[in-house]
Amino acid sequence: MMGPVLGQAAVPRDIGVFEFLFGSEYWTGPGGILASLWDTLVMCSAVMAVATIIAVPLATVLAHHGRGELSITWVVTLSRAVPTFAVAGLLVPISLRRGWGFEPWPIFIALLLLALPPIYLNTYTGVRGIDRGVIDAARGMGLSERSVLLNVELALATSVMLAGIRVAAVQVVATEPIRAFLGGDGLGRYVRDGLGQNNDNLLLAGAILVAGLAALTGTIFGLMRRLLPPGVRRLA
Amino acid sequence: MPMTKPTFRLFLILMAVFALVATACGSDDDSEETAAEETTETTAEDTTETTAEEATETTTEDTTAESEAAPLEGPTIRVRGQDFSESVTIAEVYAQYLAAKGYDIEVLTPAGFRTEAIDGISNGDLDLIIDYIGGSLTALAPDAGASADPDEIVEIIGPLYEELGATLLDYSPAVDGDAMVVRGDYDATTISDLAGAGAVFGASAACFERPQCFLGYTDPDIYGIEFADTVTIEFGPLLGEALAAEEVDAVVWNTTAPQIDEQGFKILEDDMGLHPAQNIAPIVVSSVLEAYGDQLATDLNTLSAAITTDDLVAWNVETDINFRESDEVAAEWLTEKGLI
Repeated sequence: MMGPVLGQAAVPRDIGVFEFLFGSEYWTGPGGILASLWDTLVMCSAVMAVATIIAVPLATVLAHHGRGELSITWVVTLSRAVPTFAVAGLLVPISLRRGWGFEPWPIFIALLLLALPPIYLNTYTGVRGIDRGVIDAARGMGLSERSVLLNVELALATSVMLAGIRVAAVQVVATEPIRAFLGGDGLGRYVRDGLGQNNDNLLLAGAILVAGLAALTGTIFGLMRRLLPPGVRRLA
Repeated sequence: MPMTKPTFRLFLILMAVFALVATACGSDDDSEETAAEETTETTAEDTTETTAEEATETTTEDTTAESEAAPLEGPTIRVRGQDFSESVTIAEVYAQYLAAKGYDIEVLTPAGFRTEAIDGISNGDLDLIIDYIGGSLTALAPDAGASADPDEIVEIIGPLYEELGATLLDYSPAVDGDAMVVRGDYDATTISDLAGAGAVFGASAACFERPQCFLGYTDPDIYGIEFADTVTIEFGPLLGEALAAEEVDAVVWNTTAPQIDEQGFKILEDDMGLHPAQNIAPIVVSSVLEAYGDQLATDLNTLSAAITTDDLVAWNVETDINFRESDEVAAEWLTEKGLI
């Protein structure tokens, strides 16, 4: 009998949901749950890191100068309108033709577009929502503009900003599995294989894994908020 | 998330629009349903004219049904293609041919795949399906060994269709089977040549658990190929894109995929005979077949015998590359062959 082949774990057709989830042989090795989980975590972390690096400074600076109010309306609309699967699906043939392969660009860009709006939106509204009196007081105390921006505005907006990052992270983790339908792997592979092989239990187990990781992500970011100093947390 | 006042108003408007669209769609469905119900009780000409959706598109069908032979006595034959272009065209070819012969035909909107087609036959929603015999074999007898000989497959699936209350008629010489496809300049002519080639293999998820597919290619007793890597790719044009981009070296496609020729790929010879024979064959509900006497079986067999593999490829070129409607392509082919 054939063992698991590189990148492709052989899962029996009649496997039970719990038999799969608690079977150690399905966790290890190439194509195992741990390897798939790692694939997914690397992709999601990269997306979240880049999205935060782009959205937070942009939103903070614009909000500090009171510019780009209109952008908020756009972002709200956009965040509900971007069809991530369609974006990734359209990018795949382009990426292939340019010799960049299936991964990682199409799915990365599609997920980035998904992650940017909530982070941008929350950072912007968080900074704008700070009591003008606090900022005036900071200026009155002789703080430089730079210091006002970093030590007052950004600091006080942290809680709201983190809430945005949390929303983005949960969405990204829950959406990343579409990658398995576009020539990639990751945690979505079990959903894909379950669908393609008419294996409902594998499909269900895959869905449980994806939903579990998304729930865990939400919880972890929720806990991070608790680590903030009480004063900052209360202000939010 | 906080919303500004104009945004909230925009949101309300969007909700209202959405609600309107939803209601409109709902009433649409209703009217379609009633239309479909009515058609089952009317005569051949009326059926082709009022069949939901098809009516507006298939003008050719209407005219042929009216101009040709007088209506035959018998139950309505409901035909439905599976939800991919080749199957839709095949269903149109059979339907238009029978309609021209005077049979009472109703073409349903294409839906589902093999499972749904066989379910439709066994639970009385459909009267005629056209399937690939090797595929029927995997669906009806998953544990039976594949055979490259169509007659052997027919011997197995014939009785299994009888159990479902349907009759498998003669298979056509037209074949759309599995194909191991590589780039035109790839150094291999048979699947065996891939054994030591270290190729990267791409196929749909279904292939990876099928004995006639990935399991057979890697089985040391059959092909014993050791692939350098495997990629799961949705079945369809993406297979060709991946092959052309050299992301993969060999993919499992179907022999009649028009892109194979268009993109300069080649099909490797199945020298170990792993792929089952995939001739197309009509399957008719037995009671309907009996109601029409021998005439229906004879007519269907005549048509099946006239279709070739090259015809399937030509139809796929029209529908998938030139983006033409299946019913037009079907009517054109039938006219050209003098079958209607």
